[in-house]
Amino acid sequence: MKNSKSNNTYEIKIEDSPLSLAEDIINDIKFSKEKGLLKCVQCGMCTSTCPAAQHSNYNPRDMIERVLEGDKTILEDDDIWNCFYCYTCHSICPVGNSACEINQILKQISISEGKADEKLKPFLGFADSYYSMAIGAIPSNFFEEISEDVPGWWDFRMKLEDIREELGLGTISPPQEVVDEVSTLLDKCGFKKCIDKIREADE
Amino acid sequence: MSDNKSDLKIGVFICKCGGNISETIDLEALKASLNVEVIEEFENLCSLNGRKIIRDGILNKNLDRVVIAACSPISHEKTFQDYVQPLNAYYMDMANIREQCSWVHDDNEKATAKAINIVNASIEKVKEAHAVDPIIIHASDKVAVIGGGISGMNAALSLAKQGNKVTLIEQSPSIGGHMAKIGKVFSPVKIAEECGMCLLNPILNEVVWNDNIEIITNAKVISSEKRSGTFNLVIEKSPRYVNPERCISCGKCAEACSKEVPNSWNDNLSMRKAIYKPFSQAYPEAYVVDMENCDKCGDCLRACPMRAIKLKGEKEKFPISVGSVIIATGHKLFDPNLRPEYGYDRYEDVITQSELGRIMGVNGPTKGKLEKLSNGEVPKRVVMIQCVGSRDEKPEGHLYCSRVCCMVALKNANIIKHKYPNTDVVICYTDIRTPGMFEKYYKHGQANGIRFIRGRPGEIVKKGDNLVVRTENTLKRQFEEIEADMVVLSTAMEPSEGTKEIAKIMDVGTTEDSFIKEAHPKIKPIATDVKGTFVCGTAHDPKDITESIMQATAAASKVSEFVHNGIDIEPFIAEIIEEKCTVCGDCINFCKYKAMTMEDNQMVIDPMTCSGCGNCMTVCKQQAITINGNIDDKITATIDGMLEGKKDDERRILVFLDQIGYTAADNIGVNRLKYPESIHIIKVHSINRVRPSHMQHALENSADGIFIGEYPGDLMYDEVENKIERLRNRLERRGINRERIMFAKVYIPYFTGLANKLIAFDKEIAELEDKE
Repeated sequence: MKNSKSNNTYEIKIEDSPLSLAEDIINDIKFSKEKGLLKCVQCGMCTSTCPAAQHSNYNPRDMIERVLEGDKTILEDDDIWNCFYCYTCHSICPVGNSACEINQILKQISISEGKADEKLKPFLGFADSYYSMAIGAIPSNFFEEISEDVPGWWDFRMKLEDIREELGLGTISPPQEVVDEVSTLLDKCGFKKCIDKIREADE
Repeated sequence: MSDNKSDLKIGVFICKCGGNISETIDLEALKASLNVEVIEEFENLCSLNGRKIIRDGILNKNLDRVVIAACSPISHEKTFQDYVQPLNAYYMDMANIREQCSWVHDDNEKATAKAINIVNASIEKVKEAHAVDPIIIHASDKVAVIGGGISGMNAALSLAKQGNKVTLIEQSPSIGGHMAKIGKVFSPVKIAEECGMCLLNPILNEVVWNDNIEIITNAKVISSEKRSGTFNLVIEKSPRYVNPERCISCGKCAEACSKEVPNSWNDNLSMRKAIYKPFSQAYPEAYVVDMENCDKCGDCLRACPMRAIKLKGEKEKFPISVGSVIIATGHKLFDPNLRPEYGYDRYEDVITQSELGRIMGVNGPTKGKLEKLSNGEVPKRVVMIQCVGSRDEKPEGHLYCSRVCCMVALKNANIIKHKYPNTDVVICYTDIRTPGMFEKYYKHGQANGIRFIRGRPGEIVKKGDNLVVRTENTLKRQFEEIEADMVVLSTAMEPSEGTKEIAKIMDVGTTEDSFIKEAHPKIKPIATDVKGTFVCGTAHDPKDITESIMQATAAASKVSEFVHNGIDIEPFIAEIIEEKCTVCGDCINFCKYKAMTMEDNQMVIDPMTCSGCGNCMTVCKQQAITINGNIDDKITATIDGMLEGKKDDERRILVFLDQIGYTAADNIGVNRLKYPESIHIIKVHSINRVRPSHMQHALENSADGIFIGEYPGDLMYDEVENKIERLRNRLERRGINRERIMFAKVYIPYFTGLANKLIAFDKEIAELEDKE
């Protein structure tokens, strides 16, 4: 981060190029909004409809402001991890920006820079389920909270195989050869390396 | 002649256009390519210093012909025709290297190469030019003003006071427009809200009493045909069912009527009868029957002491001929239901500023008392939401700022604070836009206790009895839920349906937002791209009453210029060689424009009507008709110039466009859209003047493709289309692929379409060449 703070004054130095972070995001393949980011006028409509903003300190408008200032501390900000991709900000933004996509790109930068292993740890169970079942399944470490928040969920989950059988849908997990095939693919594309790295960082 | 041509002294004057041209085109390379008597470049050739350079060049070097490599002839041909004096105006040609080169291409090298071709084409063209003089004709002093709102009334009044005969055409049963229902109006200078009707009424009365104005209400223009200087409009007038000559507005009919319907003049907040008077000051001062809702019981007929009512009537159509037209068809407001997050149709107490204006109006549904629609109580907190549909790129929204809504919100908030000091008024804004003196009005509002929250609300929900506005207070970085018992949406201004319709009928250009587009956004803000048609008020773009009146009076003044100065007609029209003419009259019916008449045993051509298409020449057995100005040779020379020095691996496509197509092509440049450098545009007076022999000549001399654009409204359209089809067949027999000629429709407003067609044609030709 080139910007520096001294005596509470935020200094923008002559050699700073605040838009470089924004440009990285615009050039990211994930970003679909072309110039939407640069047209942000900080109206706050994203935050006003954001469920995460209502229940946490996450503030999509503030996130965009910091991106446009080139403030890279946003990559280490815990609050960006509270967005869970409902895409309301994406569909409501009057200038055609997408805070949601930017959030995902920031997280990916953070992950690529190895700054987010801690954040990913709780989700390792998802990754493991691709190896065990060839699908992404809710990791067991979330069961307790979901049971508390969603009445009847645990019951439903326990009876899921029965319900599927009754509907003639077969088991939820595909046959073993499919699981093996998916596992091979994941190994070959480097997925295993990534999750091992996260697991190691955890230890 | 041909020997002389090579001796002609030619001067090329190149304009940098303040970088508009010189930043894309390498002028040194352009100059190095030229072999002419005089080459000069200047920052702004259209300036008076530019004139001196041109004039000195002509006088000192005895130039015979001049090429101005600069902007489009549509922008500055008249200027440079004047600057080349004492040379004949048509010894000058403009090479359009701005709109059709530097503004549509990014690659400097390719743009420079194309600029060289364009300049070469002009050089070859002027060598073939003949000296001719423009024909000046005076326009009729009859004017049609379309739309009877504050803009149309002011334009009509100003014209009438200058002695012109005005027909004021209004779609609804009364003139007056939005201003009549607005209630109070804001005034930044007086820092006060004034009674709109009190300001409007004197103007309305003056319009009514002026002998030079004929008001036609319940009427609209349904077609327009332009014959050079005259517009022939057809007006369709719907029946009123009440004779305004007899009606004394006693209101006994409405008393007797048992059919109640929502009153649209009160934004449907109150009811009116099926026979009604829109508002008390309405003109004509007569009742009108809303036939869609009338059940023809006859009660009104029996109640009328004047026998003014007749429940039968047909739509009536009649033509009028005018010399010019002012479009003042106004705006409508954004439909708040398009933003369902604000719950306009779910919550009774979510209303628009227009509805609040009716509620606060003393002639409105509550006689000026601020009441909630749900329970008639005075609201404790009113929250206003700005930019509903404005500055909004979501579907159906508008990118532009509607310009008046900040002042409208401040006005209504001030009125509430004045009458109901205990009501809290909050304006949720993204930016407060109160330019100039309006900033004083903003400060006045703050001093009155209006509160401002910077944030654009995302949602309105109901919690208990109250509405809750969810917004981020962006200055505090705080998510807020504001309880309110009335929410007012400041909806965008958008072009009215009438504005969109009249644009099509008059074939005037529109903006991407469907407002009527001015001829030039900076220096011609009132003319449209159709000569003799002008625009004012909110049909043009969002503006307030003051600005509408200014533009309306300016439009009237522009019409006066037009009437008193006359119209320059390009002299390239047909002429009868009397010695040869036997007055057989064959040409009379052959001319699609009906420009030929027989008078006193002589053929006469109306210069206002003749388009110079040359069709008559093909029917005249005596060869007694010519077209002034050596057009044929000029087109051939232009083609040769465009194709000069073409390399084997290069693609050059010639595009022929008349005034309409050429304006559309200029608009591509003005809007900075792009098309390939292979596209070389040649302007002609009439597409029909491009003969099959021209096209064949071009294709046999290395042109890769020919693109002919014609406006489907042109009377020669079918003829040209057939001619091209025949030519394609003929070329095929000569081994030239028929696909090398493209015939396409062009429209002034649809410049993006033209750009896409040019891009597609270039691609087709490229693929064709790969195959061959």
